[in-house]
Amino acid sequence: MAGPALARRTVADAAPTASAGRGWRWRDDLVGWAFAAPFVILFLVFLAFPIVASFGLSFTSFGLRDLQNPIGATFVGLQNYADLLSDPTFWKALLNTAYFVVVGVPVTLVIGLLIANALNRGVNRFRTAFRVGYYLPVITSIVAIAVVWRFVLNPDVGLVNMLLGAAGIQGPAWLADPALAMPSIIAMAVWRNLGFAMIVFLAGLQSIPGVLYEAASIDGAGRWQAFRFVTLPMLRPTILFMTVITTIGYLQLFEEPFVMTDGGPLDATLSVTMYMYREGFTFFHQGYASAIAYVLFVIVAFVAFLQFKFLRSDA
Amino acid sequence: MASSPGSPSSSPRTRAGPRRLLVALACIGLLAASCGTNSGSAAPSAGGPATQAPAISPAASLAGTLTVWAMGNEGVKLKTLADAFMAEHPGVTVNVTPVDWGQAVAKLQTAIAGKQTPDVSQMGTDMMGQFAATGALETVPANFDPATFFESAWNTNIVDGTVYGVPWYVETRLLYYRTDVAEKAGITKAPATWDELTAMAKAMQAKGDAKWGISLGTKNWQEYLPFLWSNGGDVMDASGAYTLNSAQAVEALTYYQSFFKDKLSPDAVPEGFDITPAFVSGTHPMFFSGPWHLGLIKDAGGADLEGKWAIAPMPKKASSTSFLGGSNVVVYKNSANKDLAWAFVQYLADSATQVAWYKEVTDLPATQAAWDDATLKADPNVALFGEQLKDTKAQPATATWSELGTSLNTTLEKLTTGGMAPQEAADEMQANAEKIGG
Repeated sequence: MAGPALARRTVADAAPTASAGRGWRWRDDLVGWAFAAPFVILFLVFLAFPIVASFGLSFTSFGLRDLQNPIGATFVGLQNYADLLSDPTFWKALLNTAYFVVVGVPVTLVIGLLIANALNRGVNRFRTAFRVGYYLPVITSIVAIAVVWRFVLNPDVGLVNMLLGAAGIQGPAWLADPALAMPSIIAMAVWRNLGFAMIVFLAGLQSIPGVLYEAASIDGAGRWQAFRFVTLPMLRPTILFMTVITTIGYLQLFEEPFVMTDGGPLDATLSVTMYMYREGFTFFHQGYASAIAYVLFVIVAFVAFLQFKFLRSDA
Repeated sequence: MASSPGSPSSSPRTRAGPRRLLVALACIGLLAASCGTNSGSAAPSAGGPATQAPAISPAASLAGTLTVWAMGNEGVKLKTLADAFMAEHPGVTVNVTPVDWGQAVAKLQTAIAGKQTPDVSQMGTDMMGQFAATGALETVPANFDPATFFESAWNTNIVDGTVYGVPWYVETRLLYYRTDVAEKAGITKAPATWDELTAMAKAMQAKGDAKWGISLGTKNWQEYLPFLWSNGGDVMDASGAYTLNSAQAVEALTYYQSFFKDKLSPDAVPEGFDITPAFVSGTHPMFFSGPWHLGLIKDAGGADLEGKWAIAPMPKKASSTSFLGGSNVVVYKNSANKDLAWAFVQYLADSATQVAWYKEVTDLPATQAAWDDATLKADPNVALFGEQLKDTKAQPATATWSELGTSLNTTLEKLTTGGMAPQEAADEMQANAEKIGG
């Protein structure tokens, strides 16, 4: 409480000596806000307001009947949240998403790190070409990629099964088999997001001073020891950043199953975000969908908190 | 609302009780002049006669501007009809806005929430309950006679006993089959019964060199319901109670599942699977689909496939009932020119226009009289669709249908690919339907 009072006093004290200055400062503020206005207005209208409104919606049974008179939606308290807890489809979606994250995040990061390492040390000649090649999927439209992968994984005419067939193996129905659908989606997501992990790790690797490796090799460290005792500790902030970013992204899995499997077969690839979309925009249970959104938000925040706690300390 | 004084359902919230009272009052007030005309076509769910608004007296001359939203191919081609309508009525401007089917529901919902609806829009038969529940649709005036249309098409417009739309075009599902594969398997006529359909699928696979006998949807209520209906079952009874686990339903599910159990129909179908090339190549020699596949198969098969395939009505059990889909036309309460809007709908529903529309986009006419036209009789395949249309049903027009349909698909997938027992599947369908409600 002392802070604001102090600040006010300072302004008040300064006022009599430089009254013209106060006018200037006010105008500076105005100019500053004017420059920031496009962002602030867009943020308030398209982000802050919907976030607050959907929080309110999550306590109502807002549906089709309230479309013409949104204020008239019925307040149901915590009913939506209680319903969610006993909704088997929601739990299924939650488990699917957890499966995707628990397998997908480590695989993406490990392969990304390995490739970054290879590009950093071994491959010199075509480094740029490789970098572009691995990064290209990241900047390609996800829907286009998903459609192409749907063809690649087609059981009858797909590239994967044609190659398997050439090797004498009868390929499975990748996306139509409940046990294989999620692994197939993970494989695609890893391939797509690899490039981003690689670029970030490469930047991290290149910022590690060469003298550290020199010192390590003088101390008799081999390649693995240098990686274990120099690279990994020096990359810790980068790894933390990539883990958090990738986890948050993967927790919101949507486009891949939306385009490739529509959540099937037998809901095996139904993610929390897809379930939210289905409830909110197909069935128009906007109250229920808002509750799902907030549960997901809490989960994302909690997981990010845990990652910061465990990866940041004991550095 | 104030502009059309007789409109009985002008209460903004569509709670059944008060609105029914209003409707009843309106009927009494009008000496049942208009309400009585529909007593023949009871709503499948609501029991009582379906209500229409009082007839609009035809204006001497029409004037004003209309905005019409239409989806998919209709959205692209509707301008030709709008131009013809404008030529007939010089003071009228009709603006057609094409809307993508994929975004149609969301766009209409947004328009209703923002009170920026068009005057008139196309609406899928399966969307009626959902949009009637928003309270944004105008009640159809008595100028439209239910007897003009196929009964099941008209019924898709009745939600809680009130008529909210007018049939525009229809589609139904028939059996497409490869006659050459059948002949190789020693069969020379279309399967007329359920037993014959099974026998044909088995023969085609065993003796006809086809990889599969038939291709049925693993998770598509539109393909399952015809079997339920043909077996004498239904989604709901007359009182609006769900009957998805009736004895007829269990039997229909058992029959449907048999094709998957016997490996006659593929149980692992990738998302976005296209039946057309599979039918042309002969790996999937039978499937059920609508009239659009007539053109698709001709295009994909070319001259090589000519004379090697045919279509047949729904195989018979207790009846030979197929699924009816298509689109209706609705008028919105927000419209500033409702008389003109209904005049345009009247024009679209006119049999002469329906025939012209068939020639333009091959949409099947929803009025029975249009089928007497020589154009529709000329193509024997199209005529078969016309025959099947007389025995069709549609899903109930409830506000929760999209939800229930998705739920049915999930259970069907468990039945077809997961091996769930038919009785268990029927009970799950029933339990979910009761939970979702009507």
